[in-house]
Amino acid sequence: MLQLLCKLASRSPWIYRINAGSCNGCDVEMATTALIPRYDVERLGCKYCGSPRHADVVLISGPLTLRVRDKVLRVYNEIPHPKVTVAVGVCPVSGGCFRDGYSVGADIDHYIPLDVIVPGCPPRPQAIMEGILKAVEVWRARLEESVCCHS
Amino acid sequence: MLPFLKIMLRNLLLGPSTDPFPFAPAKTHKNFRGCAEHDPEKCILCGICRHVCAAGAIQIHPSEDGSGMQYLLWHNSCVFCGMCAHYCPTGALTMSDNWHLAHSGAEMFSNCISDFIPFGACAQCGAKIQPRPQTIIDTLGARSPDRFLLCPQCKRQGIVQNVAQARPTRRQENP
Repeated sequence: MLQLLCKLASRSPWIYRINAGSCNGCDVEMATTALIPRYDVERLGCKYCGSPRHADVVLISGPLTLRVRDKVLRVYNEIPHPKVTVAVGVCPVSGGCFRDGYSVGADIDHYIPLDVIVPGCPPRPQAIMEGILKAVEVWRARLEESVCCHS
Repeated sequence: MLPFLKIMLRNLLLGPSTDPFPFAPAKTHKNFRGCAEHDPEKCILCGICRHVCAAGAIQIHPSEDGSGMQYLLWHNSCVFCGMCAHYCPTGALTMSDNWHLAHSGAEMFSNCISDFIPFGACAQCGAKIQPRPQTIIDTLGARSPDRFLLCPQCKRQGIVQNVAQARPTRRQENP
């Protein structure tokens, strides 16, 4: 029963966006991926949700500035397990052109494990979709793993 | 009467506006700037790409045995501005239209260009100089291709010898 559920659930991941001090370029592309009929990530079963408690796949953009660091971590911890993190853009991985800035805390992967990385500044919507598809595969594997652990 | 029929008919004729991307290849504009590509055969190690790189994605280290340089370009730091390709004097760096860069977090640091570029040798004394591929000989070294292949010291010695032959010193004139 649980295995059937996880098979069905992995067809419709809910996506949550976290802006960790991004310049909004990646956020615009993420909104484009969902809202514009040309890209339309919802036909793949994905849906943007408003609450971190409903999320399965997290899209993080931005270089984790010092001001939002604690808030991002608080929101991230509210997302139920198993969650998959997708870094959108180069900022979460390396800081991009904001690296070594006075307000940039550190790379996100010191705080949050990144499962899928979509480099780009910003990445094009199709690339984000590619990353989401990769993340869904990771999420499916994790769901099955957690089901096996419980049963 | 029934104006929506006109809109419906038009939409039916136009077909779907959704890009069928994950199931079919996406259309990429020919000028699209994707990840950078590096050709070690053409690189002359001038370092202008590292100098203009806004994100600090390019590093050039001397290799351990000292026979060349290690060229590193980390795609996870590159912002695709294309300045390196614009300023590259030999066209060793180009921006491809490849945007299929999504990868797993484990490959974070292996997602880079890592090329070994051996030093060139001075045509006269064999000292280590920057590599001299044919592209840069044709452009910068077009005026004196022989001199272009020498190390700075051999060049200076050559100049001094030329000057000495052209203008003998006073001592040689009036012994």
